[in-house]
Amino acid sequence: MKIDVRTKMLIAAIFSLLALIYHQVPILASLLLLNILVLVLFRVPLKVGGGLKTLLMMYGTLTFLQSLFVKSGEPLLIVGNMYLLTTDGLYYGISVILRFAILLMSGLLLMRCPVNDLLVALAKMKLPYEIVFMVLLGIRFMPMMAGEIQTTLNHVQLRGVNLRKVYKKKVIRVYLSILLPLVYSIWQKAEKLTILLELRGFRRYETREYYREIAMGKADYLIMGLTICLTVSFVYISKMYW
Amino acid sequence: MSYIVLENVDYTYPDRTEPAVRSLNLVLKKGEKIALTGLNGSGKSTLAKIMLGFLKPQRGRVLLDGCPLDRYTLPEIGARLGFVSQDPGQMIFNLKVSNEIAFGLKWQGKSREETDELTGRYLRRFDLWHLRDENPFNLSEGQKQMVVICAILALAPDFLILDEPTKNIDTSRKRDLLKALRYICNQGTGIIVVSHDREFVASWGGRNIQLTNGEVVAR
Repeated sequence: MKIDVRTKMLIAAIFSLLALIYHQVPILASLLLLNILVLVLFRVPLKVGGGLKTLLMMYGTLTFLQSLFVKSGEPLLIVGNMYLLTTDGLYYGISVILRFAILLMSGLLLMRCPVNDLLVALAKMKLPYEIVFMVLLGIRFMPMMAGEIQTTLNHVQLRGVNLRKVYKKKVIRVYLSILLPLVYSIWQKAEKLTILLELRGFRRYETREYYREIAMGKADYLIMGLTICLTVSFVYISKMYW
Repeated sequence: MSYIVLENVDYTYPDRTEPAVRSLNLVLKKGEKIALTGLNGSGKSTLAKIMLGFLKPQRGRVLLDGCPLDRYTLPEIGARLGFVSQDPGQMIFNLKVSNEIAFGLKWQGKSREETDELTGRYLRRFDLWHLRDENPFNLSEGQKQMVVICAILALAPDFLILDEPTKNIDTSRKRDLLKALRYICNQGTGIIVVSHDREFVASWGGRNIQLTNGEVVAR
């Protein structure tokens, strides 16, 4: 059974919105479990790549650091006269991690959708085509940009810059050196892309024809209705208990 | 004396099933003049990246100057092997040609006088003196390439690896490049030209290592 991309968009939007509204750990944990359940039902592989793993680790570290500055609650870690970690700090950290995980999982639901389907769906929702196209193009270019950054880092190191040693002393100089070829390359690619797009008729006419058709079926309306009902119930139950 | 040694090297890109380079054995001597040839996707650039330590082979080992490559840091590899990529614009880190030549020298810890002396010497030797105050990003592709080659040679590497050096240049620039490369080779620097430009490779001469589907078919 093929589910329309707009149905997935609605589910992802609801999960993201709820994750931003609530901060209580039990609610966020239940939301995360429901989100994972949805991904399993939609057969989305729960595979987190190397880049995302690094991002999660960074986020975990940041959360821990933030939790160190929350002074309310019972102390858990004391060094001298200083409270390094409190129960409230830990609670806050867990809540931030859960929130981030829900946003990530909601993103996963859409990341598996064909880009063209997303494009048509957004256009059918009356969003300006130019903006939709640019956003999607940006997403598609992200892995390429990561590759460019790595190449530049390799080149700068081959020219004698030891990144491990110079970070503290000449950090601005190093970053400027790295930024220069990166900006040049991005600029060049953007310029080429603009020419190629215009040569192929981008924005030549007022309207654009879409050959790809997406249509919502009975299953989509059923899932959308069910999602809204479940959301209302979830909000009601959470209000009763927390 | 062998300088770069590859023993039974295999490399497969993470998103592929077929290896880009398979069971590769190669010995390159100091000061050698080499052409690494093959069709697109034959593994030439992958091999160059393995030699430079950008890619780590899943099997086999690479020795540089008698030591395993993974014992070196990238700046240490850069002091021995100079690399000029297909897109020289990716390797420019300054807004003035003379600063570009001086860039690596400064990071090597050379004094101001020494850096100025070497920068001037290399700019004159490669006929770039008149461009010393220009913005390298505004130069033609051929000129950019010469600036990058000059900047790397100023660091006195033992080998210079050029990836598709004729990709963006015309016939006249190709002749200039050949002249410059022959001069560098005569000074004792080994050169590896990675190219599928048959005409250029024939003019370049040297030992021809031909790759097909990641394997050496002629050397």
